[in-house]
Amino acid sequence: MTLRCDFQPIIQLFLAERRYTLLTGALLAAATVLAGVALLGLSGWFITATAIAGLSSAAAFAFDVFAPSAGIRFLALARTAARYGERLTTHDATLGVLAALREKLFRGWAMPDGAQSLLRRPAKLLFRLTADIDALDSLYLRVLVPAAVALCSALVVSVALGLMHPLLGLMAGSWLLLTGFGIPVLAARFSTGASRRRTHALEALRSRVIDLVSGQTELIMAGRIWAQRETIKAADDRLAQADDALNRTEMAVTAGFGIASAVLLAGTLVGVAVLAQAGAIGAPVAAFGLLIALAALEPFAGLRRGALELARTVLSARRIGPRLVTAPPPALPSPPPEGFVVQLENITASHRGTSAASLHDISLSMADGERIALIGPSGAGKSTLLALIAGDLTPTHGNAACATATLLTQKTELFQDSLRDNLKLAAPDADDDHLWGALAIAGLADHAETMARGLDARLGEGGQGLSGGQARRLSLARLLLRNTKLWLLDEPTEGLDGETARDVLCRLTQHMDGRSVIIATHNRREAEITDRLLILKQGRIIASIRRGEPMFDAALLALRPD
Amino acid sequence: MSADAVCAPIALRAEESAVAADVSAQGTENTAKKKQELPRRAAAFVQIGAALLWLPQAGLLSIAVGYIAAGNGIADILWLAFGVLAIGVMRALVDAAGNRMAFGAARTTLSALREQSVAALANRSPLDPSRTASGEAASILTEQAEAVVPYLARFRPARLKATVIPLAILLCVLSLSWAVAIVLLIAAPLIPIFMALIGWRAKAASEAQLVEMGSMNAFLLDRLRGLATIRSLDAVDLTARRLRADAESLRTRTMAVLRIAFLSSAVLELFAALGVAMVAVYVGFHLLGQLDFGTWSGRLTLNEGLFILLLAPAFFEPLRELSSVWHDRAAGEAALDALRQLANDGMQLPGQQHREKQELRTIPEAADASAIHIRGLTFRYAGNDLPIFEDLDLDISAGEHVALLGPSGSGKSTLLALIAGLAPIENGRITIAGQSMTSAAAFKQRNKIAWIGQRSHIFAGTVAANVSLGHPHVNAGAVASALKQAALENVANARGKASIGEGGSGLSGGEALRLALARAAADPDASLILADEPTAHLDSETARDIAGRLFTLALGKTLVIATHDPALAARAHRIIDLRSDFSKESV
Repeated sequence: MTLRCDFQPIIQLFLAERRYTLLTGALLAAATVLAGVALLGLSGWFITATAIAGLSSAAAFAFDVFAPSAGIRFLALARTAARYGERLTTHDATLGVLAALREKLFRGWAMPDGAQSLLRRPAKLLFRLTADIDALDSLYLRVLVPAAVALCSALVVSVALGLMHPLLGLMAGSWLLLTGFGIPVLAARFSTGASRRRTHALEALRSRVIDLVSGQTELIMAGRIWAQRETIKAADDRLAQADDALNRTEMAVTAGFGIASAVLLAGTLVGVAVLAQAGAIGAPVAAFGLLIALAALEPFAGLRRGALELARTVLSARRIGPRLVTAPPPALPSPPPEGFVVQLENITASHRGTSAASLHDISLSMADGERIALIGPSGAGKSTLLALIAGDLTPTHGNAACATATLLTQKTELFQDSLRDNLKLAAPDADDDHLWGALAIAGLADHAETMARGLDARLGEGGQGLSGGQARRLSLARLLLRNTKLWLLDEPTEGLDGETARDVLCRLTQHMDGRSVIIATHNRREAEITDRLLILKQGRIIASIRRGEPMFDAALLALRPD
Repeated sequence: MSADAVCAPIALRAEESAVAADVSAQGTENTAKKKQELPRRAAAFVQIGAALLWLPQAGLLSIAVGYIAAGNGIADILWLAFGVLAIGVMRALVDAAGNRMAFGAARTTLSALREQSVAALANRSPLDPSRTASGEAASILTEQAEAVVPYLARFRPARLKATVIPLAILLCVLSLSWAVAIVLLIAAPLIPIFMALIGWRAKAASEAQLVEMGSMNAFLLDRLRGLATIRSLDAVDLTARRLRADAESLRTRTMAVLRIAFLSSAVLELFAALGVAMVAVYVGFHLLGQLDFGTWSGRLTLNEGLFILLLAPAFFEPLRELSSVWHDRAAGEAALDALRQLANDGMQLPGQQHREKQELRTIPEAADASAIHIRGLTFRYAGNDLPIFEDLDLDISAGEHVALLGPSGSGKSTLLALIAGLAPIENGRITIAGQSMTSAAAFKQRNKIAWIGQRSHIFAGTVAANVSLGHPHVNAGAVASALKQAALENVANARGKASIGEGGSGLSGGEALRLALARAAADPDASLILADEPTAHLDSETARDIAGRLFTLALGKTLVIATHDPALAARAHRIIDLRSDFSKESV
């Protein structure tokens, strides 16, 4: 069954994480419902029995009131306690599972191919990812627990009715199972299309609003802003239609449960009346049967939302599941021969799913301590080559052997965290003196000292709170802390104003001694500090010029000045 | 004194119009609210009606048990069973209808709110610094706005139900037994206090949970965005362990809050369960004759006793329902607030566009290059005391190619935007091809202008759609020739029908600029090209190529470039240095 395949990695994760808490939560939920059912049934029995006994004073005197009234009070307290316990346990379990899910997902995405596909289509993928995770978070609370509770209560109610007469129990039980699970399954079926349409419409709405705001100037100048408003309206209309279809299904489920419950109630009434007339049961037991039938379908209503979201949850499970399967860690790249840091032989590689920015037949030997500039127009494959050397990209052909490298990405990537933890990513064991030292070398110590909480100062999302230059200095400090032999720098001073750019570059150069460096650049000042220029064009190395060769200065001059 | 005299009427006028706009906005909002309020109320009352159908159903059930106890024949009971079934079916259908009505009304409100906010976003000047960022606007209008429907469709009716239904049931019970009515009243001491209690626990719970769970997603997304760096620093394991530790500590903290928060929900549960239990025990003892008080006349019958028992859970049900939808309230109110905030007016775009104007695409009188005359231009950003331009005069003749040179912050881009009529100017006049750029004329004037932005936005769609921007008069041929002029055919062919832009694979910096160039080339009516920093952040080879194509495209047209690239500026007919030639002097 495909459904099982989809959910297998997730259920496995759930069970591995919090098997007993999850089970306890479900059992307590069932206990809550059953206590409620029993409370109502016992109360009905008690009132009917006392009314009959009350007709004669002798019977009234002989009637044992204490056992049932104590039972009623006990059930009331038990229900409350079970409810409290259930809420605590299920939430604890959910939060635990949620922690595990996020950790596992992060590790899954951090595999080389996951990282690359994230890089290529970030915005929508990330948006979808959050929605998917949220959908899976609710799998336990919305689907698994209600289903377990409904099953339990159906069994108990049909056994209780079956004790009066097997046929009554059998009929009630089959009706409960048929409608209780049949209606949600039908609903899940009917809502699949609508919930898919809803997801698409929501994504369309989102991207069109982004287009409206980000592309407002273009739209105004082209006289198309009204048209954009219309397309947003159209997306919302489609969303409204899908919402409406889902709500219709939801209400059909509600009405279906209501009708099923009325049928069960009326049927049980006829059943107990027949049994009472035949003398098989007395009126109090009849009242008991009637009242537990009344409460029997209530737990199934809890399945309503789960059923509607089932299609969505399946889709999420299908998308996220593969990331949860633990893949063997990729084989470590073989170390390059002595005296070299990079050895590439006839490498062909490309990003998955795209034909652009691929590398063809690249061969490169880089000696220890060498400094190379990768130059070429944008799209020539400079960043792709860096990704390959960093081990983020596996070649489809050829052999690659590279030393451990640190990549300074083109876009400075900082995290919503303290300054200290941003630095410690590079050196988990470094003490504060060490961190301050790195900041001083990067030229950020002065600024960091002015920040109110020093190393504990928190950065915003993506490092908000620092200027572009400061952010670049921070990533420079990380590079120094990591302290690897090979540096891969992707346009390290791009986007900085001239003065800052020169200062950052100068600090970089001062600490390059004894290291090998590859700089991807289209900037003269960055290329100047290297000894070899590799010119890339459409994924191939078309020239390799060493310092001192006649073409070197000409090639430098062709690059953009400051 | 003279300055005051000049300023006062303007200020007054501005205030007046603001007040007028406010009043009219409030007026429409009020009528709109009333219009939306009505179906919502009706829906809630239909749901209340459905819930009250339980009264006759419970009556029939208790009569049936009475008959069974009395040994009546099956024939009598069959009728009652049929009645129970019929009322039950009716109750289910009416309740569903009420819910549908509530949903319909709420969803209509949401669409209206979205439309209002989108209109406000569209009519905001792109130069307004307080404009909402695209990501935030998108998240408010999509995910966050979704919370409006549950709030309006579930929470509001539930609140009404929680006030009406218990009261109706209490009256019903009171007519049979004052003692039970007192029990119920004690069990639900005072409904408002109860609701406050529920609200307090739900607030604490939902705040603790939703906010913190959201922050956990934010943490994950933040780290995923920087995955390349984390991988490169070999910090994957470190980050994963940190993620886990954070999530675990979050769990501990949340559970500490929930342990107390759930206590108050347990109190509600306890009162409800004990309420039912006390009613059952009282009625039982009463029927046995051991508690001979609490009724208006004599002893209750079995029918009456059972009827009262059946009503007891229904008395508490609306309160429990309200408690279960309480968390919809915080999210819904936050969403409504955010949407209203988005619809707030800021600096308005001159010449707001309406549907009828959209159709009106005039063929310009002359496709000649447009001369630009600027007289006495003054402009400042909201909240800034110092104007960016004060009394600036500038003339650019038809067909002239002009480069505005200056460091960042000197107002190059702002001047371009003002020529394009993207923000209201404080004082002065901008004339293009003899026509003044007034608010009324702005839409028509912009037809003459092609815009090449600094970071041109890439729309979700194909490359071709990004060039034509959906213009009906830009056909496939025009797109193809524009792509050729911008040397973008290869990219267009490679991407084919694939979407670029948000969610697509995007374009490189150079390709994005070529796209802007192609957009300008596809606009046949443009006689003036405004280009904002077209070669910033490009490698020199691409920059040279783009500059060449830009000047080719501008042959016979007026071209104004804002740039700090001296190589690019050198190719223009005239260079205006905004720093030295600034203000007052005619340049």
